[in-house]
Amino acid sequence: MTAIAVVGTAIHAPRDPKRRSLEEAMYDVGQSALLDAGLTIEDIDGVVVGANDQLDGRAIAIMMASGPLGGVTRDILSTPSAGEHALVLGALRVATGQFRTQLVAAWSPLEVTSVAEALKLGTDPYFHRALPLDELSAHALQASALEHAVPGARQAAYGVVAKNRAHGVVAYPDRASAPRERQWIEGGRPIRWPLTDTMVAPPAYGLVALVLADAQFVQERKLGPSAWIHGMGWATEPGFLGDRSLASAPAMAAAARQAYEQAGVKDPASAFQLAEVADATPYQELLAYEGLGLCGRNEWAKAEQGERFAIGGALPVNPSGGALSFNPVYCTGLMRITEAANQVRGRAGNHQRKGVRRALAHAASGFAMQYNTVVVMGDERREVRP
Amino acid sequence: MKTSRVGIIGIGQSQFKARRDDANYPELVREAVARALQDAKRDLADMQAVVYALAPDALLGIGNAERLGVDAVGARNKRFMRINTGGATGLSTVAAGHAHIAAGACDIVLAAGGDKVGESGDSQTILNKIWDPTYERQLPLGTITMLAMSAVRAMHKYGLTEEDMARVTVKNRANGALNPNAHLRKKVTLEEVLASRYIAWPVKLLDCCPQSSGGCAMVLASERYIKDNRLEAVWITGIAHSSESYYIGDRMGNNFQADHADAHALREACERAYHMAGIKDPAKEVHVAELYAPFSNTEFHAVEAAGLAPLGKSMGMLREGEFHIGSRTAVNPSGGTLCTNAIAVSAMARVAEAGLQVWGRAGAHQQKGARVAVASGNGGDHQFFGAAVVEA
Repeated sequence: MTAIAVVGTAIHAPRDPKRRSLEEAMYDVGQSALLDAGLTIEDIDGVVVGANDQLDGRAIAIMMASGPLGGVTRDILSTPSAGEHALVLGALRVATGQFRTQLVAAWSPLEVTSVAEALKLGTDPYFHRALPLDELSAHALQASALEHAVPGARQAAYGVVAKNRAHGVVAYPDRASAPRERQWIEGGRPIRWPLTDTMVAPPAYGLVALVLADAQFVQERKLGPSAWIHGMGWATEPGFLGDRSLASAPAMAAAARQAYEQAGVKDPASAFQLAEVADATPYQELLAYEGLGLCGRNEWAKAEQGERFAIGGALPVNPSGGALSFNPVYCTGLMRITEAANQVRGRAGNHQRKGVRRALAHAASGFAMQYNTVVVMGDERREVRP
Repeated sequence: MKTSRVGIIGIGQSQFKARRDDANYPELVREAVARALQDAKRDLADMQAVVYALAPDALLGIGNAERLGVDAVGARNKRFMRINTGGATGLSTVAAGHAHIAAGACDIVLAAGGDKVGESGDSQTILNKIWDPTYERQLPLGTITMLAMSAVRAMHKYGLTEEDMARVTVKNRANGALNPNAHLRKKVTLEEVLASRYIAWPVKLLDCCPQSSGGCAMVLASERYIKDNRLEAVWITGIAHSSESYYIGDRMGNNFQADHADAHALREACERAYHMAGIKDPAKEVHVAELYAPFSNTEFHAVEAAGLAPLGKSMGMLREGEFHIGSRTAVNPSGGTLCTNAIAVSAMARVAEAGLQVWGRAGAHQQKGARVAVASGNGGDHQFFGAAVVEA
């Protein structure tokens, strides 16, 4: 593959969702990403979006996006399986040489009456639809399995929430979720046992966009700071929860293997200056420590107590505050990749860590992290080795 | 930059019918996958990635129903993603699979999917939900009424008649009768088409595609893999998309941005695919066209967008005997979408049939000597268009 870079990004949280339509917000986020890259829509060869019909309340959600994101007359595709799959396909398309640039976007509106009910439609109609099984309850089953499998997991999970919320209030003070103090986090009301209302962030309205370009384009246009994709992996668990051991994440490990092999990462625990990982629940972040090779499950409690993954620690994880601070459900995965890219580009804002030369991004989507995507990015231009 | 060649090494289509009570949704997909793998002489373990075709979730009544298809395509712990561009999904899925290989990320990829449109209740009620809830959804819009308006515009602009439309149905139904995979396999006469009841004037029942249930799968591979394993293949030499605007109103009235009689974005998609394949004069170079045309009138603008006839001339050419099997360019020799429409995979079936034709394996509906074929897919409200060139 050729060298591919993230050259522009935008994360957007409309302040007044009732007065800013999804269509207008999409236009804003796409234009902001292009502005960040120093480009215009005329420079874009193709568009890939991650769009979810149920959350958008539309039968083919990509249709409306085509206008505001510049899809008209362009080659535009959608990956409804996950917002982060749009990044994967966008990068593959640039790597073919058929395209020099791609605009990638995903969003998560609050236009449905109930996000939980909309996501419950993702259950199969014969066996599981009758159960009170939405995405959050699937996450809760995963949390329960982890609590059973790993002594001390709950205490470590409280630590993850406190850490990410402390990060979130620095990164995005205007939208960071609360509570932030551990004693309040521990005193939450169960919503999907064992998850409490203080252990997850409520669904939010958010959008994210990235601009990808090949090395020659970056050079020709003398583009600003770039995050070069060194490795990229993606893999899926089976669809039925009953077919999985929810206390483990083999697809995440498979995705990490692909990305690390391409990037030449031998020891992931020491290879990165920073990581952004899936954290729809704190248990997901714990599972990510293990699945990504950052820290075994027997060290979770120690790692949280020692603040190894806090912003001043050896490997800050989710310095953006993650989805535990701001949770636009469908696009938190693409946001993790964007945040990691911004850190490499030196454009992360309030939460920029100094000297980030290589960062790890992990995204997960679906019931109890069905889809896993791992991206390694660095400031060094490098061809991806398939 | 020139991309590396991507070949088709296996093709599988399930039996398409109005109902498939014998198979649930993942089983339908699996049926097609098993046939494609057998055709490619590979098994699931060989697949390095799966790209999954599924159009609106609402047709199946399951949100992100691709998740239930993961095991049917053997994707557990493997690379997997779903594509949706409405009716163009199947071709877009092949394009995404092509990108996996052309990028150098994979050597062998499975593209697969299925749909149960025939069991969705009323697909038109569901498809009304593709329109914007504020501006256009309140209108009695469905894909039939939308494309009936295209027919009306073509009548005004080019003199299209209901008899011209009926001729497309007669041709495609005769072709479908030769294709064992087609859903509708009964020949019809011009009189029967003209006597069928109006669904949305001037579109009549027999001008419409059926609501089909079935699956389609293809195995794609890199040139290196094909040579190393001494496999037979046909080649995707061009593949591209283009898009129109979302709002139907942008294609009508004064100052329209695109003429609803035509398919300008399909023309752009075809031109891009031809350019990639090095085809300069499609009317002379293309032997078979499998063009996504769910209503008889839409085959005319698809033929013109594919460069096989000048604008407004395809009706006359069909009257004179063009576009049949055995003529210079056979259009929809499989019977096309007019005989089979399982929405998620209809456009993949177009690529699959194009592949079978240039492979010389199309059976009774084979166009003799076919070596270059074009396939297309349309999705959304006549909005997303994909085109692929397949060569022997």
